[in-house]
Amino acid sequence: MVSTQAGFQVLALTHLEEVARFARWLTKDEADAEDLVQETYLKALRAWDSFQTGSDCKAWLITICRNTHYSLRRREGRVEAVEAPELEALAAVDVFRSAQAGGLDRAFTQFDLSDAVRRELRALPECFREAVVLVDIQDLAYDEAARILDVPVGTVRSRLYRGRRLLQERLLDHARDAGYASGSARSGK
Amino acid sequence: MQAMMDCKEVLRQLWDYLDGELVADRQAEIAEHIRNCRQCFPTFQFEEQFLHAVQAAGVEPRGTGALRARVVAALREQGVTDPRFDDRPER
Repeated sequence: MVSTQAGFQVLALTHLEEVARFARWLTKDEADAEDLVQETYLKALRAWDSFQTGSDCKAWLITICRNTHYSLRRREGRVEAVEAPELEALAAVDVFRSAQAGGLDRAFTQFDLSDAVRRELRALPECFREAVVLVDIQDLAYDEAARILDVPVGTVRSRLYRGRRLLQERLLDHARDAGYASGSARSGK
Repeated sequence: MQAMMDCKEVLRQLWDYLDGELVADRQAEIAEHIRNCRQCFPTFQFEEQFLHAVQAAGVEPRGTGALRARVVAALREQGVTDPRFDDRPER
C-alpha cells in the first residue's frame, strides 16, 4: 500500500497545475477552484486502484475533476444544439471575412486581447467553454476530450468549432468597440 | 495523380488541420494548398493567430505552491505520506 500511495503522489501531483487550470475554468472563482482541486485529489486517491498503469493520468484526473464539479451542482443550462462540424467550420470563414472587411484580420496579433479572451471564454455557454478549454488550453486531442466529456468525437468538434466562432465574434466586437479597426477600413472608400 | 484539393474542401477541414487531427497525407495536402492559395492562406493565418491568442491567454502561469501544500496536507490526513512532497518550494 505504501508504494501504491507513493505512486499516487508521484504521478498524480505532477498534474496538479493542469488540474487546477481546468478547475478555474469550470468554477466561478479561485476559492471554488481550490476546493474542487482538493476534492478531486481525494476522490482520485480513493479510486487509485482503478487507474490503469500506463494510461493517461492527466485525462483521468481531469475527468474526476469534471465529474466532481457537476456532482456538486446542477449544470448551468441546457446543452445547446450545434450544427455538423463541417458546417461550423465553414461558418468560421464568414467570421474571418467580416473581420477582414472591418480591418480586424490581424487583431489577434496586433492587440493584446488576453483580458478579453479570458472574460469572453468564461462567458461562453458551458458546453462550448469546456470543449475550448480542453482542446485549446489543456492541449488535448479530440478523442481525449471526447472521453472526458463522454460524447462522440463529432460532438466535440461541433462544440469546439461553435465555441471558437462565438469567442471570435465576441472578441472582434470588443476590438471594434475599442476602436481597434485599421485606418484603411475606416477610410470609408 | 490525385486531383488537387479545392478551397471549400480545405476550409471545411481547416480546424482539423490546425489541431493536427488529420492523417499525415491529408495534413501535408492541406499544408501544400495553403502555401499556394491566396484565398486560403489569410484564413489559415487568422485562425492560427486566434488559437495562439486563446492558448496564451488561457495558460496564464500561476503559482500552485499554496494549493499543492493544501492538497498534500489533505492527502496526509488520509494517511498518504511521501517525504519528497514535504516542504516543496513553490515553482
